[in-house]
Amino acid sequence: MSTSLIRWLWHALAAAILIALGAGLYVASKRVDYTWRWERIPQYLVSNEGDEVRAPFDAFVVVADDSKSVTLNAMRGSDTAAFDELASVAVGNGDLVFEGDVLGKKKGHLGFGTLMQGLWLTLEISALSLVFAMLLGVIVGLGRVSKNPAAADLAAFYVEVIRGTPLLVQIFIMYFFIGTVLKLSAFAAGIVALAVFTGAYIAEIVRAGIQAVPKGQTEAAQSLGFSGAQTMRHIILPQATRRILPPLAGQFINLIKDSSLVSVMALTDLTKAGREVVSSTFLPFEVWFTVAGMYLVLTGALSFGVRKLEKRFAARD
Amino acid sequence: MTAPLIQASGIEKRYPNGTLGLKKASLSVKAGEVVVIVGPSGSGKSTLLRTFNGLESITGGEIIVDGQRLDRRGADLRNLRKRVGMVFQQFNLFPHLTVLGNLTLAPCKVLGLSTAEAAERARKLLSKVGLADKAECYPAQLSGGQMQRVAIARALAMQPAVMLFDEPTSALDPEMVGEVLEVMKQLANEGMTMCVVTHEMGFARAVADRVIFMDAGDILCEEHPDVFFDAPPHERLKTFLRQVLK
Repeated sequence: MSTSLIRWLWHALAAAILIALGAGLYVASKRVDYTWRWERIPQYLVSNEGDEVRAPFDAFVVVADDSKSVTLNAMRGSDTAAFDELASVAVGNGDLVFEGDVLGKKKGHLGFGTLMQGLWLTLEISALSLVFAMLLGVIVGLGRVSKNPAAADLAAFYVEVIRGTPLLVQIFIMYFFIGTVLKLSAFAAGIVALAVFTGAYIAEIVRAGIQAVPKGQTEAAQSLGFSGAQTMRHIILPQATRRILPPLAGQFINLIKDSSLVSVMALTDLTKAGREVVSSTFLPFEVWFTVAGMYLVLTGALSFGVRKLEKRFAARD
Repeated sequence: MTAPLIQASGIEKRYPNGTLGLKKASLSVKAGEVVVIVGPSGSGKSTLLRTFNGLESITGGEIIVDGQRLDRRGADLRNLRKRVGMVFQQFNLFPHLTVLGNLTLAPCKVLGLSTAEAAERARKLLSKVGLADKAECYPAQLSGGQMQRVAIARALAMQPAVMLFDEPTSALDPEMVGEVLEVMKQLANEGMTMCVVTHEMGFARAVADRVIFMDAGDILCEEHPDVFFDAPPHERLKTFLRQVLK
């Protein structure tokens, strides 16, 4: 048998194992008597909800089978009212509603649902903290390799403190203490906490990348009359960048995942949005699988981009 | 008589652990001279050479290179290094730049030449070392001998007053040693001031104005190559020559 065929057989085995795992999950969910209702998820991704519809009088509710229209039968008297073509229904068959209660929402403009809005906030927080973390990481990384003892000490102190404490604790300190003192919004506090946390790890990656460039490169540059800063900028950093990229990609992906912790400070990121949807729909399985998938799309796109970048750098030698 | 280009007197290098790398070594090199330094490994030849452009600091004595003291704290090493070219055993070419980039970066950034001027200078030097067709290559695409010739051209692109060679052929395959020595001979014939640490005794005999023998951080003797090789004045040197010329 040819080696490539054997390779394909192994790949096929891996696929078979994954399919078996999926089937096992499905059977397990049948055992606990869980009714999958995937059809209710899309409205939290893309929604066309418009204004709320409220009950005009106290009444009993009849919901049509298609879950799109509601009929009200007045508690007193024989008034009836019907609402058709609703985008979402917030009441159940036989419910008793009082005047002013929300029955559901009318169709409106197409827009992001709760989960997509959460994804957007996650993306926003991750991207902004990424920029600040990179800046911080490069500056502190340079401090770590600096000949100046003060710079080296401060950089080492920062890295040790941040790496030695849990992110969740840092977020609490940032939000409740520093955020209160400096009057930061939850959004700003979240970005600062994530940037400070990730910056420490990036600093170590930058330091390792710089130290991996052979000493002869610095000597050659100095012998040609380059200043320390010029040597760093023209000789060391370009060579370090290529070594830094793969671990940096891993750190970026961690950042996106860690951003789920900002949900503790009243920010509706993807994770918090997921919790909200679960509590209003009681569909934990569907919602959390969807949320996981959405994180995967983000991190997958990022690794893909970094791999492209790596190839461009590697093409030179 | 003009002052020597390199004037090192009584230089001492003591490492933090207390061992002496250099013991009161003194040496002077006049303009246009070719001085070859030989000696067993660990004798301090490379250390001595590297003190001449401040890559190695010293703990005693004084060094004046091209009129500049460099044994003081805060000496203007950058300014000095523009005038002193250095060629390393491991070439130390910049792998992320093309051959042309290696030759033009320092002239542009340090001397302030325009890109066009620097490129013109670089191409002249590349044809001088026989590598005009390799300008767009990256170092990884070159052989060891070619890399070392590029490294020589890179140092020359700064138009230095003196060139330091730190075992330039030691990391090369034997058949590539010749091409590098040829370039160095040509340089010597053009009157370049050179300090060469090497194990190539043939080169020392043919090109050197003076040969220096070092052992254990000391300069033991300093002679014209004819005397050095044919009538070695020192017992330690005799043993050394017997070993290397065997």
